[in-house]
Amino acid sequence: MGMLRVMSRRGDDRVTWDEQKVLAGDSEATAAIREAERIFAQERAKGATAFRVETGKPAERIEQFDRTAEQIILVPRVVGG
Amino acid sequence: MSLVTQVLTALGWIVVALAIMPMIWLLLQPYFKGWSRAERRAADLLRDTLTPEQCHQLVWRGYLEVPSPTEPQRVYRVPRTKGYVQVIENGRAIMRLCVQPVESLPDADIVVLHKLMIEANEEMYLQKANKYLCLD
Repeated sequence: MGMLRVMSRRGDDRVTWDEQKVLAGDSEATAAIREAERIFAQERAKGATAFRVETGKPAERIEQFDRTAEQIILVPRVVGG
Repeated sequence: MSLVTQVLTALGWIVVALAIMPMIWLLLQPYFKGWSRAERRAADLLRDTLTPEQCHQLVWRGYLEVPSPTEPQRVYRVPRTKGYVQVIENGRAIMRLCVQPVESLPDADIVVLHKLMIEANEEMYLQKANKYLCLD
């Protein structure tokens, strides 16, 4: 299972998908992954930074949506305070 | 004032308080609910992102230490609540950093944000931060 988490004032919004089901042609799983890709692109366009987070591994910055990722976290644009 | 009058006055105030309490609750409920849900979700993300040792450090010491991926002697001390991130080198605080998201986030999300940016994007993190040198 993959999960996209988008940080916001509401905590974080989540979209999950099952890559195995996507590969098997499941329409719901395909719709979920398309939604995740759409949100990813929309947030990146707003300046968000994306990180791939895997258990037991250091976080990695990514530029493109990775459907094989265990978890992707999108953080909003940051500025010096 | 007689004792009976005092008791009646007190009872009157209690009745007024009981009458307006539901109205105040109705007005404030959405804010409390929204806040607690956001904080709860942010706390879930924090727990998923940190190791048990890091969670323990954050709760008991009030900060999370994130080692620099590029400088072995450097550690970033991220506070549990909003505030400056301290840069510690060889055990001494050398700098304070101020980096904040453009969007308001729960405190727990801000801790995760600092951790991810330092671990995966330290150079950009330092570029964005406003730096305040610590002078002896």
